Amino acid sequence: MTTDTTDLSTLAVPVAADPDLVGMMTDLFTAYREARTAPDQFVVFDESLWGQLEELGLTRLTAATESGGSGASWLEGAALLTAAAGAAAPVPLVEHGFLAAWLLEQAGLPNDGALRTVALPDAQGQANSVLYGRHAAAVVALWHDGAQWRVADVPAARVTITEGHNLAGEPADTVSFEVADLGAGAVVRPEVRDEFQRRGALARSLQNVGSAERALELVLTHVNERAQFGRPIGKFQAVQHLVADIAAESALARAATDTAVARAVESDWADPGVPFAVAAAASCTGHAASVIVRNAHQAMGAIGTTLEHELHLMTKPMLARRGEFGTVHEWDETLTAMAVAAGREGLWPLVLTGTTA
Amino acid sequence: MPPVSVSPGVAIEQPALTQLRLEVRAFVADAIRDGLFVPHVDTWLTRWDREFTRELGRRGWLGMVIPTEYGGQGRTFLERFVVTEELLVVGAPVAAHWVAERQIGPSLLRFGTEEQKQAFLPAISRGDVIFGIGMSEPDSGSDLASVRTKAEPDVVDGVSGWRVTGTKVWTSGGHEADAFFALARTSPLDPAHRHDGLSQFIVDLHAPGVEIRPIISMGGDHHFNEVHLDGVFIPDNRVLGQIGDGWMQVTSELGFERSGPERALSTFHLLAETAEAMQTQTLPTDTGVGRLTARISALHQMSFAVSTALQGHQNADTAAAVTKVLGTTTEGDIADYVDLLAPPGRAADDALHTLLHAAILQRPGFTLRGGTNEILRGVIARGLGMR
Repeated sequence: MTTDTTDLSTLAVPVAADPDLVGMMTDLFTAYREARTAPDQFVVFDESLWGQLEELGLTRLTAATESGGSGASWLEGAALLTAAAGAAAPVPLVEHGFLAAWLLEQAGLPNDGALRTVALPDAQGQANSVLYGRHAAAVVALWHDGAQWRVADVPAARVTITEGHNLAGEPADTVSFEVADLGAGAVVRPEVRDEFQRRGALARSLQNVGSAERALELVLTHVNERAQFGRPIGKFQAVQHLVADIAAESALARAATDTAVARAVESDWADPGVPFAVAAAASCTGHAASVIVRNAHQAMGAIGTTLEHELHLMTKPMLARRGEFGTVHEWDETLTAMAVAAGREGLWPLVLTGTTA
Repeated sequence: MPPVSVSPGVAIEQPALTQLRLEVRAFVADAIRDGLFVPHVDTWLTRWDREFTRELGRRGWLGMVIPTEYGGQGRTFLERFVVTEELLVVGAPVAAHWVAERQIGPSLLRFGTEEQKQAFLPAISRGDVIFGIGMSEPDSGSDLASVRTKAEPDVVDGVSGWRVTGTKVWTSGGHEADAFFALARTSPLDPAHRHDGLSQFIVDLHAPGVEIRPIISMGGDHHFNEVHLDGVFIPDNRVLGQIGDGWMQVTSELGFERSGPERALSTFHLLAETAEAMQTQTLPTDTGVGRLTARISALHQMSFAVSTALQGHQNADTAAAVTKVLGTTTEGDIADYVDLLAPPGRAADDALHTLLHAAILQRPGFTLRGGTNEILRGVIARGLGMR
């Protein structure tokens, strides 16, 4: 056939991260997961794992090399976040490596590599649900001073931390800043606020893909081993269909997030279609979580609802994460505004490219 | 254990494909403006226009994966993919050539004799010969291996061939088509090897012994037919490939059949019209439009990635089944979603209600045709190692 001789690279190029790096990260987090003892009610930061990731250059994988990062692309970053989430690794990879480091770069501020998290304090300087706030050497705040957006790198000694936990049991602390410290921050481009939100939402979507795929693994193992009525429950069509839908929604979530990552990487986030792609990823992944969490617990049975079982390390974070950096509803509103502005003729170009051009 | 995923991956469309899209998009925009067709939903089943089909042929958008020596364009499945998408999203009348373009052409190319290729492929590529499919029977739907249509050897005027007898159902456009592929038993059912003994025949629908009766859909439309074959004589040169290869043939193109863009886009024009109605405030703005648009975007990516994998000769059966389950559900959900929003109305009232009513009536078929979603979930379960 003529089609066999055509150079496909002129038509479509598959996108994938460096397989060696992906393999290394997968092995690392699989080993971590297998060595872990039974889960606790609260997620406890793992300092030793953090040190190991630091040595491997994974804590600031996507940060620029000039500021001490590893300079990898979000393709590799995506593989890192999915692998780490699949192992429920209790470390602030997103907060420290993907967001705080990026904000400091935007502000032209130095980064000594000490553990950081991020916060969006209100006008009075208070931020709620700051992940790993109590463990941070400094909190990078993105703050609106009434006129402009500023980024301040505030040392832990200058903030007040009130400890708390989110739905997933992760450290989610209230951080109170001195308004003067926030006001002393460096002014950043106004677009940084939305860009920060998109990076956060895409990172959360990637983590949720990792959790969803691990939940699928756990469910598959269970339904193939657990026997009732004289056979593995996975032989029953009703159970197969529950699991098939977990796999399908996970694949859809992965398609949407990987597309957003590919579009961002290809253009260093400059492609005008990035906002749509990220919103689509957040929406698809957020809605997918509804089906995945429900079906995974249904297929796993009562054992999956216990503290000692691994499943809640996947399902609780999926639900906690999907509302951070914009709720699913807000992302749907963003998408709707784009779709309505696109109208009849513009909707299809929007689907394809994220723009109506 | 490696991470479990049935994801087809991500592939980025390159400028050559985008250029082709824009050519097709410009053509259909002109065609709509000139009144060549009125955009509709589910047009790959319900909108039949031989003249439009021939026009696509003249423009080089038929027979796209058929080599030039057989009158085709010698292009790739990916190029066909983007042309198909552009035609579907505006609801162009593509039903007449749909079956030939999607599966008959590729099957003839793969399994047909040289004479069969010469006889049919150039005409398919011009849009001059219209094909249907004859797989399902009154008692054989999801369980295709149970077909009872029978073919027995015979000789007529010194020509050896087969006498085919049986009834085929759900033959889309059979009353307008020129020929179809009929799946028949050429040796008795062996319960231990149910997929053996099946063969496909290229049947001239105007031949003696062929009777076509309409099956009227619940909206009153005639798209489907029952095709009765009463001892129809098929010469040996109209057997597709080898006798006994029928099962392999009908299952071999499933990846293409199941992951095509039509499996998510049957109601896209309704979604586009809904976005328009929200823009003009004819309908209340509601976030369902954004949610469904995002989903269609992800499905486009999945379908494109499956096509890329198939073009590279990789197996994508499970990813194709996943794409079809999600896509056909979503295209149906679009119909239901708009129905929840739209005020009552009659199909004749405005474009939105015309599309909405057609979409609601066509919706049950979305998750049945080409393998029901229940069968496909079984395929996915097998891909996950559960069966």
